[in-house]
Amino acid sequence: MNNTFNINRFGLLLRRQWLDFGKIYLISLVVLLGIVVGFYSYNIPSPLKDNNFDYDGNLDMRFRYPLFLILGFVFISIVASSYFNILGQKSRAILELMTPASVCEKFLAGVVYTAIISLFSYLLIFYLTDLAFVKYLNGHLDAFKGLLPKNGAIREVETITYQVFNDEGYRKYCSYFFAFPFLITSVFLLGSVYFNRFHYIKTALSVMVFIGLASYLVVKLSIWLMEGKVANHHHFRKEDKDWVLLTILLVTSIITLIIWTITYIRLKEKEV
Amino acid sequence: MEFRDNKAIYLQIAEYVCEHILLGKWKADEKVPSVRELAVEMEVNPNTVMRTYELLQNKNIINNKRGIGFFVDEAAMDNVRNYRKQQFIIDELPVVFRNIYLLNIGFDELKSKYETFVKENFNA
Amino acid sequence: MYYLTNTVDMININNLNFGYSKHKPLFKNMSMRLSNGHIYGLLGKNGAGKSSLLKNLAGLVYAQSGTLDVMGFNPAKRQPALLEQICFIPEEFYLPSVKIDAYLKANAPFYKNFDNQYFTDLIKEFDIPVEQKLINMSYGQKKKVIIAFGLATQAKLVIMDEPTNGLDIPSKAQFRKIMASAMTDERCIIISTHQVRDLDNLIDTVIMLDENDVALKASVEEITAKLTFKKVKEIDDSIIYAEASLSGYNAVMPNYHQEESKLDMELLFNAILAEKIKFKPLFS
Repeated sequence: MNNTFNINRFGLLLRRQWLDFGKIYLISLVVLLGIVVGFYSYNIPSPLKDNNFDYDGNLDMRFRYPLFLILGFVFISIVASSYFNILGQKSRAILELMTPASVCEKFLAGVVYTAIISLFSYLLIFYLTDLAFVKYLNGHLDAFKGLLPKNGAIREVETITYQVFNDEGYRKYCSYFFAFPFLITSVFLLGSVYFNRFHYIKTALSVMVFIGLASYLVVKLSIWLMEGKVANHHHFRKEDKDWVLLTILLVTSIITLIIWTITYIRLKEKEV
Repeated sequence: MEFRDNKAIYLQIAEYVCEHILLGKWKADEKVPSVRELAVEMEVNPNTVMRTYELLQNKNIINNKRGIGFFVDEAAMDNVRNYRKQQFIIDELPVVFRNIYLLNIGFDELKSKYETFVKENFNA
Repeated sequence: MYYLTNTVDMININNLNFGYSKHKPLFKNMSMRLSNGHIYGLLGKNGAGKSSLLKNLAGLVYAQSGTLDVMGFNPAKRQPALLEQICFIPEEFYLPSVKIDAYLKANAPFYKNFDNQYFTDLIKEFDIPVEQKLINMSYGQKKKVIIAFGLATQAKLVIMDEPTNGLDIPSKAQFRKIMASAMTDERCIIISTHQVRDLDNLIDTVIMLDENDVALKASVEEITAKLTFKKVKEIDDSIIYAEASLSGYNAVMPNYHQEESKLDMELLFNAILAEKIKFKPLFS
């Protein structure tokens, strides 16, 4: 018997975890859908409102971007933060740890649920809602005729997905931030193993303190290192920007992997 | 079964088995319950029942047919009586004797009491 | 023992040191071997470490030093091959909000020897409503479900922490019957208990924890060969320990005359706590 990883056992584990995790998860998906639909209904352009257009003369759908980012952060972090919280409860942790699957499988099941399934279900729900509202608006473009301040035809609204995938710059830009959601879930997953109670608050506080300290140190350090040594009138060129973005991608990916490794080790060491 | 406090469980189970044989519930050459069955019935550890069966085997009250199980011995009835008699002489008679001596009961009195008892209880 | 054709050490504990903090050790250099074909009764005062020992065996907590071998595995590694051979019934547990068959479907496939028919029989014997959700069951019913599940896994090592807690009187009798039938040659069953009277006829070997170590590990046969438990009218020098009762004293004394007395586990427990030194030379 392979004691580290067995695909059948892993499948069984995913199914078993669904029993515990699934119901809450489905409920949170419904809540998520409700929130997204609510925001859209409230914020989409309507002939009854003023200011329906952005400065380019398109129907104003800019509320979507902050909504997507903030809600996404909240959703995936909450899901990740709740995954291993049962290990903090003695009564649940024992049966959990005694389930005949390896630590590796249990950890990977956590990653699948928190990083992959939660992220994809979020994207899917957002995509579908966005698509539905965009379709609806495009079907009712006539209602906005005459409201456009400048003369011209009203352009169709585009879905976020369309915007991202049809603009090379956008696509490239987004791909650099590919690891960010994984970083977020990994941090909160670690928090759910590390803390026994109040995982979310404690994780969030720890991250804030950590980031605060880190940025303070980085700023202090760079001042100390750079002061009087570097010319200030440095112009960013396009290649520089690419380089910075690439660094962001690399750094976030590496930190994510490191945090996952720590989570795995913590899970291995977890006692009841 | 309710166990008494004064005797090892395996001996109490032996008494139980002997009782069944004496009362004719388990007849000669019949199979007796398996170790597990009796352990479940008595709510005791199977090792305890095994110890009982070893004892009864030594007394030729039951015998072990390999691979089939335990059976009541042909001469079980006599052997049970012998065994019980031994037990009685060792365990209970001293107590009776002690009382006879302390209370100063004569053998004649004892004999007549005994005969009435037998008449009343066993119609002999 | 009698029943067995071959015994092997299933559990081998060697110089185990364990404690929840460095300054308060729970076990100091504890060593012990446990084999198959036995029901071990783990006794000890509150805080003597009964649950902790069980958790060590199951790999739920980690020792500071020493070695622990369970069926050839180190339980701390939590390998599936070992986990599927352990049935651990904790004192406190949580069951999800599903019905029995959903629970079974999700959990049973992890155990390749899982016996569905046996599980169904046990559930029937325990009188558990199959249609009810686990979360809505009483504590006693839930306990019976996980006991039935645990035994149906056919695990070789059965560890139970206070299994009769929360069971009503008829359930305790059912439990004893079930355990009597669950005890097989291949199995090693360890039961920790406060309520000795519930289980004293099931236990064949007593393990008593006291003062950071095993105070006694002996089979009922060995104990009753060395000690007699009986009611006496008066206390004399031969008596090691006695407790007043209605008709005199319940006493423990050396078994000089090869008497076949019934082990009074509660009395033995109190006797060892009170007179540990007198028992040491008898069982070593």
